[in-house]
Amino acid sequence: MQQSRQKKIGIPRAISYYNNYPFYYGFFNTLGFEVILSDKTTTKLINDGCKYVVSDTCLPVKVYVGHVINLLDKGINTIFVPSIQSVAHKINNCTKIRGLPEIIRNVVNRPFKMIEPTLDKTENIGFEDFWFETARQLDITDKDLIKNAIAQGWEMYNNFTKMVKSGIPYSRAIENSINGIFENNPVELVKPLSVVIMAHGYNLFDDRISMKLIQKLEHMGVKSYTGLNVSREDAINSIHALDEIQYWANELDLTGAAAYYMLNKKIDGIIALSAFGCGPDSLMVDEIDYHAKIKGIPMIHLTIDEHTGEAGFITRIEAFVDMLTRKNRKQLQDKYGSKKLITPVKQKEEERVLTNSLA
Amino acid sequence: MKETIKKPKINRFEKMENTIKAKDRVIAWPRMGRIDIPLKALVVSLGAKVVIPPANSNKALELGVKNSIEGICLPYKMNLANYIMALESGANTLMMFQAPGSCRLGNYTKMAQKTLKKMGYNFDMVIFDMYKSKMKQTLHAFWHVTHCLNPFKYYKGFSLGFSKFFAIDTAEKLLLKTRPREINKGDSEKCYEKWLKITDETNSIIEARKLRKRIIEDFNNIPVDKDKIVPVVFLLGEFFVLLDPYTNQNIEKELGEMGVEVQRQIMFGDWLEHVLKPSFLYKKESHRERAVRYAQKYMKRAIGGETIETIGDTVYAAKHGIDGIIHLMPFSCMPEIVSQNIFPKVRKEEDIPILSLVLDEQTGRAGYITRIEAFIDLVKRKKMRKEKNDNKIQK
Repeated sequence: MQQSRQKKIGIPRAISYYNNYPFYYGFFNTLGFEVILSDKTTTKLINDGCKYVVSDTCLPVKVYVGHVINLLDKGINTIFVPSIQSVAHKINNCTKIRGLPEIIRNVVNRPFKMIEPTLDKTENIGFEDFWFETARQLDITDKDLIKNAIAQGWEMYNNFTKMVKSGIPYSRAIENSINGIFENNPVELVKPLSVVIMAHGYNLFDDRISMKLIQKLEHMGVKSYTGLNVSREDAINSIHALDEIQYWANELDLTGAAAYYMLNKKIDGIIALSAFGCGPDSLMVDEIDYHAKIKGIPMIHLTIDEHTGEAGFITRIEAFVDMLTRKNRKQLQDKYGSKKLITPVKQKEEERVLTNSLA
Repeated sequence: MKETIKKPKINRFEKMENTIKAKDRVIAWPRMGRIDIPLKALVVSLGAKVVIPPANSNKALELGVKNSIEGICLPYKMNLANYIMALESGANTLMMFQAPGSCRLGNYTKMAQKTLKKMGYNFDMVIFDMYKSKMKQTLHAFWHVTHCLNPFKYYKGFSLGFSKFFAIDTAEKLLLKTRPREINKGDSEKCYEKWLKITDETNSIIEARKLRKRIIEDFNNIPVDKDKIVPVVFLLGEFFVLLDPYTNQNIEKELGEMGVEVQRQIMFGDWLEHVLKPSFLYKKESHRERAVRYAQKYMKRAIGGETIETIGDTVYAAKHGIDGIIHLMPFSCMPEIVSQNIFPKVRKEEDIPILSLVLDEQTGRAGYITRIEAFIDLVKRKKMRKEKNDNKIQK
């Protein structure tokens, strides 16, 4: 036991880290591993990743490779690179996420041990098989220990999801769940405007990739909801309510959240944030765009890649928020009739239409 | 965790629209290579009317690009254009197969349906799934479209269809083999066109079964230069762009005229036989199984699309003395980007030249041909050097 305590496992701070880290932490910690994370994403790290892959690859995968290189530079020899193929029958992930271990194996020409379990519910490789496979690759065969570890993982993960759902900021929720703290009284933010951001966790919560979009919006007086604020059931039901079907494994963060808030809560706008050349996003954003147009909700699609400049990014958000504010003001004016800037002629016309319709 | 998710009553893949009476149906499907010939034979023998959209062209591409979103891949744009053109010329039922979980392909039909409805067309979309229990699904789809209950007609349709698929495959393979060696330029092309026409016109099962033999005989009569040194190149990549001569700018012809034998690894008939035939009837090793076996060193799992076939075939080519690989993919194709990432290692370890070409609606012809020419020069020089070395060893 004493020896295995010193074993280390590296987890790249990218892709599945952002949604599942509490589970990973709980699982590997119980198995007796010290979990080492790669550094936070920096421009240098992205550039390192870019050197290894072809230029057509999307930004998140480039970042992932960068994080793996970062872990190797730190001297970690065991790295956890899961291949999450499908999360339910015929609901598959994006090809690049499915093939992460294949990319890493062929791209990084350095000796290290890759832990590469597969989760594929279409082919009946279930959740437990996934973790047993992980343990097998780490030379652990004690069944009870593994089951205990899975339970521990679930506990941390559930705490995490409960906390984020209640509105605690993402980074604090992750820290709390790892330290075993359960926070239950979130500070409810009241802002004049609210938007839903549809984006993958690995794009939105990475401060370098999303350029701190959530904080920026907060400064502008906009409260933002994300996919983590919506429970899985609600998200799926909302997608069905729009007469759509879940096709991608990580669709709930995007269409699920957007559909839920579009249907159930008053939001002023939708912000879609996706990486350039992202296959699934191109379809999902289009899907929501279609419904948003019908419902008359303004929507903006922000595309990011490794060259995105922050200035242009802020300008676009500001313009969007300004537009929302104006729209809101217009609505209030229409409702209470104060400071109406309508010419008398127009007003008469309106009255005539009104009387006609009443008659 | 309690399951409170309401499942949709009908599975998406089984849901088939039914607003048009079976006898009024006019069926159309997207174009890909020459699949229109066998499919037409099948549907016509089941007693339905068919509209074949015009061949892919600049006009079709323009139409597709205009009506689809920016980020989607090229095959979808072409498909959508085919649908629109078919609907314009009188079709009211659109058919499409899909293989879920591969890539964006599974989403094509859903999107196309929405787009076309928004454009104001009235039609039924019949989708059949190529995942498991494919034969059942396929039969169901064709029953749904035609409401034909006569089993003999099904037998005739499928048998005709398959014979024609194989005939076309054979003709294509022979064309690729003969073109670089022919003495009178254009002979093999003419022969191929002739046989396509005959295949299209054949209407009896016995005649259709004989087609293959007759095609082989006819191609053998073309005078060829047997001593010509011809480098052999494998053509791999994404399914649609490989099979569609418009999208890949007829790369096969271009290469054949440069004096290169092309071996395309994905043949539609082959693929269809493997997919549709029950496994206990399919005895030989399928293309996919072979690919999985050869790709073992680089890939441990299939990740959707044709990635594993691409990698497996590359390794196979290197082990069987093929001179080079040309890899085709549409821009932003997700599975093939993974292949592209794996290529550098395969190239280095297996010592085989690879050219990866990305196709989209903006591909310029001149630049494209230049790249292929440069690559072929490299392949030829490498082959010559290799032969010189071999001769030295022999002496």
